Amino acid sequence: MTTTVSERAWIGKDLKRREDPALLMGTVTYINDFKVAGMLHAAVLRSPYAHARIRAIDTSAARALPGVQAVLTGKEAAEVIGPVPAFCAEPVVEQAIAVEKVRYAGEAVVAVAAESRAIAEDALDLIEIDWEPLPAVTDALSAMQPGAPLVHENLGTNVVYDHVFTFGDVDGDFAQADHVIRRRLRWPRATAAPLEPNGAVCAYDPARGTMEIWSNTNMLNSASWVMSSMLKIPPHKLNFYPMYTGGSFGSKHFLAKVIGIAGALSKVTGRPVKFMEDRLDNLMANDSQGPERIYDAELAVTNDGKFLSLRLQTIDDYGAYFIFAITGNTNMMAQITGPYTIRSVATGIKAVLTNKNQQTVFRGAGSDVGNWVLERLVDAAAEQLGIDRVEIRRRNFIQPDQFPYKIPTGNVYDSGNYPGVLDLALAHFDLDAWRQEQARARQEGRYLGIGLATAQQRSTYSSTEFWFHNPAPATGLNSTPESVRISVGPTGGVTVTMFSPFWGNSPETVVAQVVAEELDIDPRDVNVTYDSTAHALPSAGPGGSRMTVMLAGAVHGAAARLKEKIFKIAAHMLEASVSDLELVGGQVRVKGVPSSSVSLADIGMRAYWFKLDLPPELESGLEGTFTYDHPYTTKPHDDRKDLGVFYPIMGHAAHLVAVEVDIETGAVLFKKYVAVHDVGTVLNPRSLQGQIRGGIAQGIGLALLEEVRYGADGQNLTSTFVDYLLPSASDVPSIEVYHQETPSPFTAYGVKGGGEGGRMVAPPAVTSAIEDALRPFGISIAEMPITPEKIVRWVKEAQSRHSRQTH
Amino acid sequence: MKPARFRYFAPHTIAEATQLLDEQGEEARLLAGGQSLLPLLNLRLARPSALIDLNEIQSLAFIHPQNGGLVLGALTRDATLERDPLVAARQPLLAEAAHYVGHPAIRHRSTLGGSLAHADPAAELPAVMLALEATFTLQSSNGNRTIAAAAFFTGPFQTALQHGEVLTEIHLPGLPPRSGSAFLEFARREGDYALAGVAAVISLAEDGTIAQARLALCSVDPTPLRAAAAETVLRGRHPDNVAWQAAAEAVVSDLKEPPSDIHGSADYRRHLAGVLTRRALALAAQRAERSHS
Amino acid sequence: MMDDDFIPVRLSVNGVPHRLFVEPRRTLLDMLREDLELTGTNAGCEHGSCGACTVLLDGQSVRACLLLAVQANGHEVMTVEGLARHGRMHPLQEAFWEKQALQCGFCTPGMLMTAYELLQQNPDPGEEEIRSALSGNLCRCTGYQHIVEAIRLAAQRLREEAEAATPSETTA
Repeated sequence: MTTTVSERAWIGKDLKRREDPALLMGTVTYINDFKVAGMLHAAVLRSPYAHARIRAIDTSAARALPGVQAVLTGKEAAEVIGPVPAFCAEPVVEQAIAVEKVRYAGEAVVAVAAESRAIAEDALDLIEIDWEPLPAVTDALSAMQPGAPLVHENLGTNVVYDHVFTFGDVDGDFAQADHVIRRRLRWPRATAAPLEPNGAVCAYDPARGTMEIWSNTNMLNSASWVMSSMLKIPPHKLNFYPMYTGGSFGSKHFLAKVIGIAGALSKVTGRPVKFMEDRLDNLMANDSQGPERIYDAELAVTNDGKFLSLRLQTIDDYGAYFIFAITGNTNMMAQITGPYTIRSVATGIKAVLTNKNQQTVFRGAGSDVGNWVLERLVDAAAEQLGIDRVEIRRRNFIQPDQFPYKIPTGNVYDSGNYPGVLDLALAHFDLDAWRQEQARARQEGRYLGIGLATAQQRSTYSSTEFWFHNPAPATGLNSTPESVRISVGPTGGVTVTMFSPFWGNSPETVVAQVVAEELDIDPRDVNVTYDSTAHALPSAGPGGSRMTVMLAGAVHGAAARLKEKIFKIAAHMLEASVSDLELVGGQVRVKGVPSSSVSLADIGMRAYWFKLDLPPELESGLEGTFTYDHPYTTKPHDDRKDLGVFYPIMGHAAHLVAVEVDIETGAVLFKKYVAVHDVGTVLNPRSLQGQIRGGIAQGIGLALLEEVRYGADGQNLTSTFVDYLLPSASDVPSIEVYHQETPSPFTAYGVKGGGEGGRMVAPPAVTSAIEDALRPFGISIAEMPITPEKIVRWVKEAQSRHSRQTH
Repeated sequence: MKPARFRYFAPHTIAEATQLLDEQGEEARLLAGGQSLLPLLNLRLARPSALIDLNEIQSLAFIHPQNGGLVLGALTRDATLERDPLVAARQPLLAEAAHYVGHPAIRHRSTLGGSLAHADPAAELPAVMLALEATFTLQSSNGNRTIAAAAFFTGPFQTALQHGEVLTEIHLPGLPPRSGSAFLEFARREGDYALAGVAAVISLAEDGTIAQARLALCSVDPTPLRAAAAETVLRGRHPDNVAWQAAAEAVVSDLKEPPSDIHGSADYRRHLAGVLTRRALALAAQRAERSHS
Repeated sequence: MMDDDFIPVRLSVNGVPHRLFVEPRRTLLDMLREDLELTGTNAGCEHGSCGACTVLLDGQSVRACLLLAVQANGHEVMTVEGLARHGRMHPLQEAFWEKQALQCGFCTPGMLMTAYELLQQNPDPGEEEIRSALSGNLCRCTGYQHIVEAIRLAAQRLREEAEAATPSETTA
């Protein structure tokens, strides 16, 4: 904040990631690579039924198998561990291992610890269960019907949450509208499916009553107090070690079940136990499926194309449990009106429980859905009113001089220049040329389509979103902090310590870059380490595109404290006043007198070993720690007519896409993809582009390929990578990525989070492009994934409608 | 996801392999490329008591010319089929179809004989065998027998192989002059199992009409399917879009009930069978014409 | 049954000879990771779909999860740990680093081995050829583009290296 762009030495540079050499040489230790002496291996028997009562379990043969050390049914596990920690107010209880009944196919029923994973799986084969199958309910609409089988009998209903939030005069605005655009839209259930499944090694020490936990959970420091109740060990006797994480995308927040299973087995055996999910475990039971929503969506529009109000009614299939409550729905309230000046909103949410693995969060966390729904309505409005899709967006954009801008829900957008982003995207895409190409292709019987989406990418969450859907009173204003420690050693070496793990992004590169900026040193000379929770400062961990913002803020603050001491010592050594000093190239010198200087090494040695030469108010050692709290958040109002500020660091993007659709096979071929993102000041362009391109690939996956499917009997039909289709190198095009930089006024250096944006904007852009390609058939796309089969079916239906009309 | 226990044998000769099959009984299975079997083992969907690994039998991996056609050892890898000059010259359809099997790392292991014996109705090579009118040599401790591809595939994952028999050789007769072939398939992603696939061979007469057409499909029936009605429709016709359309209609109307799963319904597979038939025939005919010029 | 339980295997991994006894049911992947502690090769799906465990067997790419360890008897295996020489990264690894062709790194060893084989076969692959060659290696982070760019960059450098190493025959 003290420097301007032109003065910055390191911020904004394409730095190679310091994380990469170890990853490239295969020397990184992921959780599955981790071993401790005496470690056992766990495997889990999973329910073959979507809904069934467990009458009896016979584990005697499994226990008798040589190499087996422990066998735990749900009932037995419940003697050593408590339920999975849940953030919901409703009494929906989940156990790491099911007790009495199972609520989805793949739910854990028995866990085994053995000398090897193979032996543990052999033991699973020997377990006999007497099941009483119950009727399963596998879609939200059926689950809402009276008399539907109850997933949790104690609730008396499957509709676990039902509330309408109204912000502003929605009815009045709809009454004023010249047109109401209405669509029923369906968003498919997807899942994060990182290449690395979840895992944990738990080592219980019965003598000390402590447990050490190595796992790929992203939220170590929350995990330690959140999981204490489950593990029945006080938080200060749990020590979580950060591990390199092979991708998360929202799926590795707590890993309560994995840690609970390994922890319970460690408690009963007194030995360290590893539970590493395999792909079946992960795809059936990872507790991180995405939203599955049906929207009745309405947009109130005037004759000249101005959007007045938005009304949404959502039915959301949450699956069998509810640990994060309706986070996926509250999240999108941060940006529900998109980049547009929509002045009122009503959003009804019915959260429904079904016999499926539960929904929690997946990159975008529900705001991805909001973008798609709104952009579908905007495209529909353009079509219905005969206004160009670009023009109708321009007419409704919040203008650059309107920031900070408060949207109807109460959230504030910090900064933005939406017309600027759109202009940049149009300049790189060459829309006119593609429209000509499209016209030419149609004459040849080929179907080209051009897609456009202009949408938000909120970043840097405040935890109020986890509770404001409950009635007042407030829990308290969440700080959602992140901390770092920067130390200069006695020989001048700089080390930064983080308390959140590497999760696939570039936290080490970010902190080294910012430290280098602040201390004017080379980032390659900075050492970066992680520390376990026993030694940690406050930290919330990755999620909601917060880490770059929060780490930059923490490093900025810690560097300021460190520099204060550096300057005090240097002032003493140089016999100068602090105000006359400057830090240049790792040297403190008197301004204008370069010959009068001391190095960080001189200062470090003095600070560590010659403290008695220094003024008495200085302690030995040289470090700065800083806990950076959420930069801008406010409390929700008690009536919940205003949710307060909870996601103010607002990015924006425009995507323009050209596709060709083979209407005979339904294949979709990308011809051009341009993405312009504005996430404030760009820290490391190449890293950001990687995040954007990777996010777009996931968005393309969702739009065209990915869907978690359950059969009518509740069987998970996508429990392997043969059936859950991740996009491959042949499915994703090369993507041109450009940046506009509109700094945030609220963050260090003006950075915003950019980790989710690609996935949040690609689905509406791709949908728009395919719909445009199929425009000659008058097809309106209301669901994803847009599979080849659906395209063929829609075209055939349109052709038969047409032939009926002409006869 | 670890396999259940099994006994393991790696014989060096076919005779040893057949003897082991006799000794180890019905629960023993042969292991060729393993690219379908290993996933089943890892998932414990297959639990053989013993695996008899054919990979050490050098005499099972060969490609020889035979009467204008080819004879191939059952252990010939798909990657070899893709690249072998003799295959490219005499049976380019086989090379073209082999390229659609999985991915390079799969094709380095997967074998022609393994694919045929596994008899996945979605697999490419069984359909190619029908189109090329292959015959197979099956060897057991009682001797050899030969069987036409048309009689070999008896159901989904079911063949005429009896316990104790090893599929050892694949015989492919040569094609008539002025022949062209094409393999086309449609899958959700590159390397995935096809939702429908078509192997087409067109042989032209002196006057440029179609002397003979051979057409086989995968993934649209419980077994690989020879489209005899469509072949009849094509005989003697001019190789043009009208003919391809007629053949496609014959294929579609001849299909019984194609399989249906989350990646493609029966209706969609039926539709694709028609589209791909048309396209594959056009391509095969184009190649037949080019082979003459 | 002890005699049947474990079978001797001799193989070479990254040029280092090994002799060990394994259960027949042990996959090559688990032998590399658990018995030889070469954990660079990752287990992503264990059913042959993701490509994370791709290694080279006698120079050809294979899925380590779809091979039994006993089948590697008498063969040479190369894993990601064999790419760098004396702590210096292979040009492919350098190019992956420069182009940021990885994020979480979990698919990266398999990607590198697939790319290594591709460049052995085709020193100058085009974008489509690279994408097709990689289509059996899933990456959930990068969107593949940086990987494609890295392979092209490495290919160019390796070609230049090869040209520099070959004395020109046309100059007098």
